[in-house]
Amino acid sequence: MNNHTMESGKNKPSCKSGHSALVQIGEPPAYWKSPDELHHGPRITGEFPGGLPSISSESKTTRRDFLALMGFSLAAAGLSGCRAPVQNAIPLLVGSDQIIPGVANFYATTCQGCASSCSLLVKQRDGRPIKIEGNAESTLFGGGTCATGQATILSLYDNERLRGPLWQGEPAAWEDIDKHVVESLTAARNDSLAVVLLSRTITSPSTREIIAQWGKQFPNFHHVTYDPISYSALRAAHAKSFGQAAIPHYSFDKARVIVGLEADFLGTWLSPVEFARQYASNRKPEGTPALHIQFESGMSVTGSNADVRVPVAPSQLGAVAVALLRRIAQKAGNAGTPQGEDPIETKRLDAVADELWKHRGESLIVSGSNDVSVQIVVNALNSFLGNISKTVDLVHPSLQRTGDDAALADLVKEMNDGKVHTLVLYGVNPAYDYPSSDEFLNGLKKVSLSVSFADRRDETSSQVSAVCPDHHFLEAWGDAEPVESHFSLAQPLIAPLFETRAAQESLLRWAGEEKPSYYNYLRDYWQKNMFARQKEVQDFTAFWERSLQDGVVILPSREIAKLAAFHGNWKAAAQTILQESKQAQSAADKYELHFYESVALRDGSQANNPWLQELPDPISKVTWGNYAAVAPALATRLGISNGDVLRLNTSNGKVEIPAFIQPGQDGRTISIALGQGRTQVGKAGKNVGTNVFPLTAMRDGQRRYSATNVSIEKTGRQESLASTQTHFSMEGRPIVLEMSLEELQKGESEKGETLPTLWADRPHGEHAWGMAIDMNACTGCSACVVACQAENNVPVVGKDQIERIRIMHWIRIDRYYSGPEENPVTLHQPMLCQHCQDAPCETVCPVLATTTSSEGLNQQVYNRCIGTRYCANNCPYKVRRFNWYNYTENDAFDYNMANPVGRLVLNPDVAVRSRGVMEKCSLCVQRIQLAKNTALQGKRELADGDIQTACQQSCPTQAIVFGDLKDPESRVSKLRHSQRQYQVLEDLGTRPNVDYLKKVRKATQI
Amino acid sequence: MRFQLVLLLVLGVALAGGFGALQMSRIGVHQGYSPDQPIAFPHKVHAGDNKIPCLYCHYAARTSRHAGIPPASVCMNCHTLLEKQTVEIEKLKEAVQQERPIQWVKIHNLPDFVYFNHSQHVQSGVACQRCHGEVEKMTKVEQFAPLTMGWCLQCHREHAEIPTGEFQRAAMSLKQKQKAVAGTDCASCHY
Repeated sequence: MNNHTMESGKNKPSCKSGHSALVQIGEPPAYWKSPDELHHGPRITGEFPGGLPSISSESKTTRRDFLALMGFSLAAAGLSGCRAPVQNAIPLLVGSDQIIPGVANFYATTCQGCASSCSLLVKQRDGRPIKIEGNAESTLFGGGTCATGQATILSLYDNERLRGPLWQGEPAAWEDIDKHVVESLTAARNDSLAVVLLSRTITSPSTREIIAQWGKQFPNFHHVTYDPISYSALRAAHAKSFGQAAIPHYSFDKARVIVGLEADFLGTWLSPVEFARQYASNRKPEGTPALHIQFESGMSVTGSNADVRVPVAPSQLGAVAVALLRRIAQKAGNAGTPQGEDPIETKRLDAVADELWKHRGESLIVSGSNDVSVQIVVNALNSFLGNISKTVDLVHPSLQRTGDDAALADLVKEMNDGKVHTLVLYGVNPAYDYPSSDEFLNGLKKVSLSVSFADRRDETSSQVSAVCPDHHFLEAWGDAEPVESHFSLAQPLIAPLFETRAAQESLLRWAGEEKPSYYNYLRDYWQKNMFARQKEVQDFTAFWERSLQDGVVILPSREIAKLAAFHGNWKAAAQTILQESKQAQSAADKYELHFYESVALRDGSQANNPWLQELPDPISKVTWGNYAAVAPALATRLGISNGDVLRLNTSNGKVEIPAFIQPGQDGRTISIALGQGRTQVGKAGKNVGTNVFPLTAMRDGQRRYSATNVSIEKTGRQESLASTQTHFSMEGRPIVLEMSLEELQKGESEKGETLPTLWADRPHGEHAWGMAIDMNACTGCSACVVACQAENNVPVVGKDQIERIRIMHWIRIDRYYSGPEENPVTLHQPMLCQHCQDAPCETVCPVLATTTSSEGLNQQVYNRCIGTRYCANNCPYKVRRFNWYNYTENDAFDYNMANPVGRLVLNPDVAVRSRGVMEKCSLCVQRIQLAKNTALQGKRELADGDIQTACQQSCPTQAIVFGDLKDPESRVSKLRHSQRQYQVLEDLGTRPNVDYLKKVRKATQI
Repeated sequence: MRFQLVLLLVLGVALAGGFGALQMSRIGVHQGYSPDQPIAFPHKVHAGDNKIPCLYCHYAARTSRHAGIPPASVCMNCHTLLEKQTVEIEKLKEAVQQERPIQWVKIHNLPDFVYFNHSQHVQSGVACQRCHGEVEKMTKVEQFAPLTMGWCLQCHREHAEIPTGEFQRAAMSLKQKQKAVAGTDCASCHY
């Protein structure tokens, strides 16, 4: 039996002995960060393990040149320093009681980073949105967000957005474009030619209504919806199982047992913010945490959090579902499941089935497969377990993905047959993400008029007749209905930056309205539909204003549709799956491919966002690009090492991509992230990584995100992967601690004795700020990393600098493995400045640029820092960051800070650091100061919860708590006395103000 | 003779060095800076003779880090009713009519690495004149204080006495306590 939980417990001195035992260097560490560390132990051979990229030796600067330049710049600085430049202050001409310069306003809106449509509260300073936060009023999503959502604010200020509309690739006036489009549409109407609107999932009911109305004027109109990451099979399976083509609304918080089949529901699948929130609330070790079993081929965020994770090849995942169904059906008294071999050990499957059966009606099985048969089998499982209407809600379905793969395939065929006259592209980029993009582009040439609402020249919009750029969602009105009867409104945070026009207004304009206003339409639509459905508020204006202010509205459900009982042909589906999985068992030198959405880039639409490109993948910690994840055993067998470029041949084409050795990867499967390899998107995202969308082929009318019969060749080339993984090795010391559920329940805890300190006590102020991070709740989703970057003006440094270990993130998430590398246990640990009371950085600073404040903050004073970097060397947590360059003015760093549009995202309350100074987490001191000031203005005391740091605010699972340690009633004080509390490296005597709560492992029989 | 020469040289170097250091320490200090403004607005007439409270025009100082220069619409609150006309008032009215914001010259400039919040000081009862001088007597405003860190800290140190004992703290009224909290931590202003 492969019980990793128990195994890792055995060889883990760190856990058993708490802080007191250090793992000896050379002894195999219980936790390891990379396969190299597992096999060879922590390396202390050099300052930079693996070396650094070579610095050009061709520099011709001599000592004499240096001195001359130095002298000149000193003189220049001296001369210019004598007279300060004249600064102007330009007040508004007409004042507003709502806009006070320097005071932030918050407005509720809805995220459009993906179709999950999370409710947001966006911070606006001096008329520009600068920070995205989740809307705590939302019962679905809470106050959390995801990394992609956090980063959408930077996409607003993307310098490569179109400044205005284009006609045949040339800038044109809106009137001219409207004239061309209307002429062409009139011809289509008069001659009954086909007009097609191709969109991504639209969760906005009013926009769907506009499209439907708009289409009515044409005798031959279709609206085709597709999603590059398709959920089409899930809908189709529900149509076949329950007579309703819908995606159910899942409740992970009501399930005692969760089984995931390649569904990364904590990272990317369907509605990750909502699911992560539900999941965390259901996995609190102080209660009875739910059991989570994950079957998957590549290591995902979800898999890394599971109690039991089983690596399975994609072709065998269906067989796992059938094997479970066979057992459950038998228990439920339904005979006749087709027989087949168990893809994994029979005993384990028995144990999973037993757990599920034990928790009938409170279990949940989800699958990320886009195969209708697999989804029918999953539906049968949930149905036999009595989960329908309990953890699987079909009465209030999710409307977050409504794409239909077959419809797009049909459309492309029609286009190639010359049957489509007008094609309107809304939020889609098929030339990039459709598998047969050539076919699509050929078809596009035969379309008489093609219009795109894209915000930039991308792979598709550079080939169309007219580009009519839509607003960014932060500039636009809108609404959304992510889950039936759960509405979320969207309002503009800023006037459009460029000459863009809402897509809805473009459609209304082309329907003949002279001065279309989507705002008026939206308001009318809400009056007719939403207002009419509620009885609470009698006056529409009051209803509208309240809805706009709250952002979220939950209306009484539409008529409760009578839900049909499960009637899917599960036996036939199981038979199909078994046949397919048997066929897939191929020759020894053939492998399988698995394509997944990465947490940062998702489907690639935000590929030009440097924050997302630089966000380390939660599992591999690789930035700037994708890679082929190869299991360690397979890598050894084929002689592959990190960065070797592999050529992967599939029946749908081949791809060349660097390899990355990924522990936990299924032995016969290679996983590659989608969403990279954009060729036309902008400076930051262009040609980063490799596009693997062409390898996702259609089968039985659905797009498949896996491939079988793949051969691997080594090209002999090397490509570097900018990974943050081997930086900051903890050298085998007990940084991450965990305990078993039994220990917790028995009340055992291993607290180290209070160590004597050599330092005199300092004077203390009113407060003592502290933080507690629950490693049991942290899923590794990395929303906090981007939130911190946005809040604290953290610069982007690019791939080359990351290879030189110069990433600037103030908070990082360290990922540790323990146990065997074929399937390790994973742990995520957010690491930021620990705000030590006896800080090692402080004692080595020659100029007192870093000191501890009276409120316990380790403060870094930029204007005093001279850049000796002693502090960074002396920091045991390796959280200090040095500004090697002036990232705002150096041409080599052409990211958001280097252009006037991108700079609009900067937080005016936080200094932009200059070259040569050290920086690090300040515990969001600007937020602390603001909250103090707000309390002062309100003539009241600060209350617990008044201050939320940016990382804490963004966390969907509320893993981070900030507060005053002096207040015994504050949440953070109470957590300090938790049985799970410990401090990282407490034996060093640094006395951090940041506490961690141990990860709790649940022993299972699976 | 030789000794005297050396002494003279040493003295000269010391003097020059001292003078240089003094000059260096004055870099970026603009005490007395009094630039011409696009409209020669006399604070003396408004805040002095007519006793308009500072916070009537600089209302943002109550709630914001910026005291704010009033929008022209605030000027027009009175000037639509007042009959008096001068060349300067004409300039104001013209700007309003032409919808052209007025480009005032900023007098008090702090470096980017300093965070200063007006509202915090106004709420704590610091008089405007404490830092800005007797503006109500100035026809043309000039920078009154050096605005150096040492100058800020002088005041902060005077008001930084927070009693450490629980009992004394509890005995203080909320208002007193808030008045007293003038931080001398680096991170009170530098972040």
